[in-house]
Amino acid sequence: MQGHQHQEEGEVKEEPSPESAFEKSPFQLTAEDVYDISYLVGREILKISSEPQGEVPTRVAQLQFKIVRILEMLEALVNESNLTVEELKMERDNLRKEVEGLRKEGPPGNAEQLSLGPDKMIIDLTDPNRPRFTLQELRDVLQERNQLKAQLLITQEELQCYKSGIISQREDQAGPMEKESTVCSPSGSSKSNEEKTIIKRLFSFKYGKRI
Amino acid sequence: MAKKTYDLLFKLLLIGDSGVGKTCVLFRFSDDAFNTTFISTIGIDFKIKTVELQGKKIKLQIWDTAGQERFHTITTSYYRGAMGIMLVYDITNGKSFENISKWLRNIDEHANEDVERMLLGNKCDMEDKRVVLKTKGEQIAREHGIRFFETSAKANINIEKAFLTLAEDILRKTPVKEPNSENVDISSGGGVTGWKNKCC
Repeated sequence: MQGHQHQEEGEVKEEPSPESAFEKSPFQLTAEDVYDISYLVGREILKISSEPQGEVPTRVAQLQFKIVRILEMLEALVNESNLTVEELKMERDNLRKEVEGLRKEGPPGNAEQLSLGPDKMIIDLTDPNRPRFTLQELRDVLQERNQLKAQLLITQEELQCYKSGIISQREDQAGPMEKESTVCSPSGSSKSNEEKTIIKRLFSFKYGKRI
Repeated sequence: MAKKTYDLLFKLLLIGDSGVGKTCVLFRFSDDAFNTTFISTIGIDFKIKTVELQGKKIKLQIWDTAGQERFHTITTSYYRGAMGIMLVYDITNGKSFENISKWLRNIDEHANEDVERMLLGNKCDMEDKRVVLKTKGEQIAREHGIRFFETSAKANINIEKAFLTLAEDILRKTPVKEPNSENVDISSGGGVTGWKNKCC
């Protein structure tokens, strides 16, 4: 109590008076305010014991008023603190659930995949049926397949001509037939221009612009 | 003079949603057969069938496209050379009918301007599962000024008629040539009447 009295002497002319701590909202109280309140209450008690008996009822009434105010502040702080604790607990539980969900979704170490956009595809490298070829490769294979199919059809047609005897031995050896025979030749060693033309004509559908 | 196996080559194209029966329609026409097992066409395929119209032997090279979106870029590159395009939908599949406008847009974007178009409502044998009325098909065909048939590859309804009609429509637009003249490439890009086999 002595200390407080010394303090009082030193602080009298400084800052707002210690009484202002009682006027503050409980949520704006600082530790300094609490010390001020403590000092004021201590001073009241000191006065009760040191001053004449006649003054006691007045002092007690004043002290009672201060104590009620302090209890009100404490009540407000406790309520506020309980609310905050509840909110934080709920938030903690939500975050915990979220983390568990994310852990279940993917094995650890694929944080990169989680950041993929909506138009991206995740390929499982262990899946034997995973996509491996590009559209261009598919395009090329299909083109080759269809070219071979066209060649086969031409060849079959020509074979039919030979079988039915429409092409005579004489014509076969003659000039005009050489063109076709290149298409039929199984060796296919020399791709004559004529062969290309026939195939390409059938495929001008596809190659149209390039020819 | 060597005999020709055909007089004209027409290139046709089948398009439409996956599963409407494009391949079956073509298989019925080319091989007069039907297979119930569904195998999705991979990208693009073709079949050849020679028909005779107005005394002319016409070789039809019919390109069959995959309806699946993932083959879109491959299939659209085949639109350009087509002289006739058959757009097929499935009368038991409302979505395939709704998508007609999308396919027509594809034709506008990728095919020749003078391409002959035709609309087919396939699977017309499945009356109990029908969701697209015939009048609906007729109406949309009328709006776009194109021919329309309801077909069934399974029951062999209107298949040959559709192909022959399309070929006739193309033939009508094809300039008449002198008997001895070489085939005229109307548009260099399309390769309209090429591939004349001089064999025989």
